[in-house]
Amino acid sequence: MTHAAQPDSSQRGKVLCVDDEPGILRALDWLLRRHFDVVTANSGEMAMDLIRDNDFDVIISDQRMPGMTGVELLKAARQLAPRAMRILLTGYSDLQAVLASVNEGEVFRFINKPWNVDELPVVVGQAVGLSRTAAPRVEDEQEDAAPQRLADPILLVDGDASVHQAFDDALEEVAVTVFHARTLAEALEVLDREQIGVLVSEVRVGGFDATRLIRMLKAKQPEIVSVILSGEHDAETITSLINQGQIYRYVPKPVRAGYMRLVVSSAQNKHRQMRDNPELAGRHEVEAVPAWQAEEMEQDLARGERRRAGAPEPASGVGLLQGIVTTFRRLLGR
Amino acid sequence: MRFRLVRYFVLTSCVAFLAVAAALVFFQQQQGELFRSVQSEEAKFFGEVQTSFADQQARSARRDLLAIHEGGNVNLTRLFANTLWDQGLSALLERAGEIDVDQCRAIPDGQNADGRTVAPPEKKACFAEIGAQIRALPEFAFLNDKVYRAMHRSSVFKIKVYDTRGVTIYSSEHAQVGDDKIANAGFLGAMVGTPTSELTHRDKFSAFEGQVENRDLISSYLPLYGQDGDSIIAVFEVYSDVTRFVDRINQTQAETRAAQASNLQSIAAASENSQLLIDGSVKRLVGVLLGLLAVLFAILFLIVSRADRLLRQHEAERSRSQQQLAQAEKMASLGQMVAGVAHQLNTPLAFSKSNVTMAMEGMRELSAPVDIAARLAAITRETHDDVVTLKVAGARRRLSGMQLRGSDVDDMRTMLGDVLGGIEQMSEMVTNLRDFTRLDRNKTVDFDLNKSLRNVIYVARSVIPTTIAIEERFDDAPILNCNVSQMNQVFLNLINNAAQAIGKDGSITVSSQVTADAIEIRVRDNGHGIRGDVLPHIFEPYFSTKPKGEGTGIGLSIAREIVENHGGTIEVESTSDEGTTFLVKFPQANEHTIIDLAA
Ligand SMILES: Nc1ncnc2c1ncn2[C@@H]1O[C@H](COP(=O)(O)OP(=O)(O)OP(=O)(O)O)[C@@H](O)[C@H]1O
Ligand SMILES: [Mg+2]
Repeated sequence: MTHAAQPDSSQRGKVLCVDDEPGILRALDWLLRRHFDVVTANSGEMAMDLIRDNDFDVIISDQRMPGMTGVELLKAARQLAPRAMRILLTGYSDLQAVLASVNEGEVFRFINKPWNVDELPVVVGQAVGLSRTAAPRVEDEQEDAAPQRLADPILLVDGDASVHQAFDDALEEVAVTVFHARTLAEALEVLDREQIGVLVSEVRVGGFDATRLIRMLKAKQPEIVSVILSGEHDAETITSLINQGQIYRYVPKPVRAGYMRLVVSSAQNKHRQMRDNPELAGRHEVEAVPAWQAEEMEQDLARGERRRAGAPEPASGVGLLQGIVTTFRRLLGR
Repeated sequence: MRFRLVRYFVLTSCVAFLAVAAALVFFQQQQGELFRSVQSEEAKFFGEVQTSFADQQARSARRDLLAIHEGGNVNLTRLFANTLWDQGLSALLERAGEIDVDQCRAIPDGQNADGRTVAPPEKKACFAEIGAQIRALPEFAFLNDKVYRAMHRSSVFKIKVYDTRGVTIYSSEHAQVGDDKIANAGFLGAMVGTPTSELTHRDKFSAFEGQVENRDLISSYLPLYGQDGDSIIAVFEVYSDVTRFVDRINQTQAETRAAQASNLQSIAAASENSQLLIDGSVKRLVGVLLGLLAVLFAILFLIVSRADRLLRQHEAERSRSQQQLAQAEKMASLGQMVAGVAHQLNTPLAFSKSNVTMAMEGMRELSAPVDIAARLAAITRETHDDVVTLKVAGARRRLSGMQLRGSDVDDMRTMLGDVLGGIEQMSEMVTNLRDFTRLDRNKTVDFDLNKSLRNVIYVARSVIPTTIAIEERFDDAPILNCNVSQMNQVFLNLINNAAQAIGKDGSITVSSQVTADAIEIRVRDNGHGIRGDVLPHIFEPYFSTKPKGEGTGIGLSIAREIVENHGGTIEVESTSDEGTTFLVKFPQANEHTIIDLAA
């Protein structure tokens, strides 16, 4: 990656690092200052002042700080400096903090301590680049923006029939088409056939890991906004979904209908922005998904389909399988 | 105190069964008694009825006897009068009537000791004189002869005749002639026309035949009517012998009595018999009931002792699972702490790693300048000239590419200094962790509780939110002989509770104080406090107001157990919405303090 900054100082990315531990701040400064203009703050309050007075490209904050927490800071920064990309530095995974950082702070990446010295500058460089290519308007980020009439359809992927019912009930008054998929293969088929705007998915579907689909989809079709609706709350999963799937929201089950409507409408707004402004999608660029995961996914799909079909007639069974694998490859580019 | 099921059951049921048995025996006796008394009552009543019946019979027989003989005497009198009238009776009546009795009558009556009216001896003598005059009359002797002849060998023992004045003008017992009968009830009854009879027993009686003994006699006063048939001219008194009849009556009565007695006897025998029968059956019944009670007791005993065994088993299982739960809780909080400490470790680890990596990269960049400097040094050593010419044509690119500055090396030194700082932080953490989970678990040592508190606070900081300030106010050396890791657990529970009560912003004050006779540790928070209705329960195991997963509710119960095992107390004081203070107090022996003060 060659996002490293040019010598011209105006071109150099402007990065704000926030942590209450001076050792961390000095280390980040040393690590990043070769390529970026680094400013440090040892508290959330001090960082807020700096954000008001400067125009940062990237804000890196630790989560655990006395006073303002990292999530609170990033949430405020989202309003104060919407252009700045937000990175959360975490020591250990506090689930509530992670959930809040996704849903309220809309973070670009989670960086775990200790960080990788080679990768961190790259991620920051990426973020600097993206912050400059496209900046969302502040009002677009508002969650309560009115839902659009010409919304792209929604795809709900969940193995549980009652969730589909509840979802339909929640969106009853919203004029939007909802496609339902109970298996990954069905989801794949819908994605291939329709122009889906928002993908709402459980973490596991039919015993298989659905997050790989989301991550791969994001890499190929970044304008699809994904929302996780899940009963599983595990900070690790959410972290990887952000870093590799750039999920838009993580909604823990059970969920109130009103909140679901709010999340869906704001996801649709997000999708519209990205569709109308393709560079914006870059802001949600993800880490590459390892090839082996794609392969594994392909196999799981086939296995799930075979299991669902029971003991099908060999010819048609094989035909069906072939179709799914083809779709998978076409859609996710293998 | 423990509830000993089997023992209590045996005691109470034995008492109850004994009471029942005693009651049964008592009732059985009562029953027998009652039966006996009813029987004797009945027998008595029956006897009385029989006696009264027999008496009644004897009485009526006597009455009949009297009536019959009275009737007989009336007839006899009439017959007598008719026969004797012309043979001297009328003459005697006439002659005797001529004798004046008024002067004798005029002698006043006296009274005897009983208050009865009796004639004084002079009066009796006066009448005896009249009697002598009558006996002297020839009519008297004539009549007497006739009477004796008529009455010879009859059942009539005695005949007396009174004139209307009440004077005895004739008696077969001659001594009685002249007696005054004016006050006699029988005489007076006969004078108004009512014959009166009386049955008497006489031990001795002077009859026609002479002196008789032991006789039952009926005496009748009978009026004698004159020829006109209207006026009473004299009164007869006739004594007839009914000894034979009375004897028969008495014999009948005796027979009845004997029958009655034998009746009573047989009744008594029968009742005795039935009493025995009843007693026997009641005894059998009581025996059967007691046997049943014993069987019942045995069955209940089996059931209860089985239940007791089961209860014991459950108890044991419960305490085992409680211990396991406590263990699990310990593990969970340990897990939380491990995660928290791992996070804290991550911070120095992160910058140390980053710094070291960068320093190593920097070292690589340093190698060229150091090479060059070394070469320069060698050259300088080889030549003694003050001026050396360096040809840089070949190395120009390499040299001009070098951007390293002296400050970079300073930076590197600072970076490595930070690494050293980081390592120190990490080792402090490791020391604290090691102190916290001391391995000398079962030993008690004299330990400075301040150290324990510092250690716990250090560890707790890694799990509780950074927005909560923890203030330490420590007194000098609160030294307690204790199990340190258990003390740590107590303080950690209190501090964790305080932090959970605060939530986000607030402060916890941990203080230690050494007073004259105790060590006091206080953990105060300004959290939500404890409601009055919750306060009495907080030390109960498994009592928690926190959502599932956040609190199992055994923190304080464990803390109290530990504190009490150390001879201390734990108290709480709380105001809703203002905060809570927990006070842990360990009483100290006074001499201990004195020695401390002297030292
Ligand atoms: N400092 C405090 N402030 C307010 N309430 C408290 C405080 N300490 C204890 N409590 C109350 O007492 C209850 C019992 O406390 P305890 O420590 O025994 O259990 P817990 O904290 O609920 O669960 P855990 O087993 O995880 O400690 C708590 O649920 C809480 O309601
Ligand atoms: Mg507790």
